[in-house]
Amino acid sequence: MTIPNVLYRKNRILLKELTKTDFKLRYQGSMLGYMWALLRPLMLFAILYIVFAKLLKMGGDIPHYPVYLLTGTTLWSFFTECTSQGIQAMVHRGDLIRKIAFPKYIVVVSTTFTALINLAINLLVVVAFALINGVTPSLSWLVVPFLILELYMLSLGISFLLGAINVKFRDIASIWEVFIQALFYAVPIIYPVTMVANTSTLAAKIILLNPIAQVIQDVRYCLITPEAITGWNFLENPMLMVAPIMIVVCVLGFGAAYFRKKSRFFAEEI
Amino acid sequence: MKEKMGIRREVIEANDTAIKIKNLHKEFKLPTERSSGLKQAIFNRLRGVKGYKIQKVLKGLDFEIKKGEFIGIVGRNGSGKSTLLKILAGIYYPSGGEVIVNGTLVPFIELGVGFNPELTGRENVYLNGALLGFSNKEMDEMYDDIWKFAELEQFQDQKLKNYSSGMQVRLAFSIAIRAKGDILVLDEVLAVGDAAFQQKCNDYFENLKEHGQTIILVTHSMENVRKFCTRAIMIEDGKIVRDGNPEKVADDYLKLFDN
Repeated sequence: MTIPNVLYRKNRILLKELTKTDFKLRYQGSMLGYMWALLRPLMLFAILYIVFAKLLKMGGDIPHYPVYLLTGTTLWSFFTECTSQGIQAMVHRGDLIRKIAFPKYIVVVSTTFTALINLAINLLVVVAFALINGVTPSLSWLVVPFLILELYMLSLGISFLLGAINVKFRDIASIWEVFIQALFYAVPIIYPVTMVANTSTLAAKIILLNPIAQVIQDVRYCLITPEAITGWNFLENPMLMVAPIMIVVCVLGFGAAYFRKKSRFFAEEI
Repeated sequence: MKEKMGIRREVIEANDTAIKIKNLHKEFKLPTERSSGLKQAIFNRLRGVKGYKIQKVLKGLDFEIKKGEFIGIVGRNGSGKSTLLKILAGIYYPSGGEVIVNGTLVPFIELGVGFNPELTGRENVYLNGALLGFSNKEMDEMYDDIWKFAELEQFQDQKLKNYSSGMQVRLAFSIAIRAKGDILVLDEVLAVGDAAFQQKCNDYFENLKEHGQTIILVTHSMENVRKFCTRAIMIEDGKIVRDGNPEKVADDYLKLFDN
């Protein structure tokens, strides 16, 4: 079985080079270049902070609220960047797909890697921000990479599934852009879960079943304050506690299988 | 909406067959509507219209290529030769029949695939090399030779968009010839650059031929078919109509255009 081995090495080389190219091209021709990877989420944070923390006075009783908010916006930015780029990846790389035989998933993975690199840079800012804000480092910080892996798996699964459909029906990318705007308000990024829980416990529980909400709350819990409400301390049913993780596993599994099945015909459909 | 599917296998066996094709069919679904979005798909589903028509491009090809053969595939525009090449290269999947590829195949059928105008010549060389399966380290070793062969050393750090089209093809060709594999599949790549550069290309192909490299070449140049090929296949309307001596096939091909 020499063929798979050879392919394996080739795939690694290609993945690395495509990720590098993607990263270079994303900020090509802009004056601040790579700085935009940092500036974009920080600007989103600044806007939300001014509007919601200063003007609407949300999250008053949460310790380190600015860090709390920044953590949320950073993870959310990653999710939106990863999925919207991932869904469009096949279409953007149509020139390669039409002319070269290679495993198509590499294109999707390389695009999502670029988002992952951006996230890594932004998390450094979050950590620096947390330390300045007086958050004490603890062992629970070590859990954060696993939570990010979970969020990445979800983003990758969505990119595979919707990216494969998007090859034929380009409407998907536009629908996703709108959908993600609505989803933003269904995830406790700007508002604290306690605010929802005070009005309706059921609504808070439903919100926490969303894997994105679960990851964001868990990261806040591990990174900033054990006062953050998470699925683990709010949902009583153990089945419901693991539900978000099950959703991630299903989305990735189904997405990858669907993508694999359809990828044979991408070259002629794109 | 079940897709019809053939089989494509890659094997490594110690016999003298490079590629074997049995009863190969390929058909495409061409959308009949102008727009191919979601709206149209839903309308078509509701109306019970298919929304596409089947275009049969290859209609049952059978042939076998031995190791060391230099095959020329000729035919008019739209006869199906490029589709055949893309199936051999693994870009398209067969709709019916069987394709068996024995050995490693260079996945390069056109020059300059993946070239990006916004990147420098240097960056494009590494990217193109990665598509051929070369690591950064391997590319470092070949790097100077590639530029020397292309005769473009002084443009290395210019963006590709500032290259002339001739310069781009020369660079692409210089990278492509580094590819290593048992079978080389090429679509119309011989006529590159000016007369001096063409001489270099000719020498390169002569050299490959002498070393017994298996090559499949799609071309419209009967001059090249006569010069390089050990065997030629003519395709007409998705079927093989001639297979054999390149001189004879080239003559027959030219007769197609005599009135």
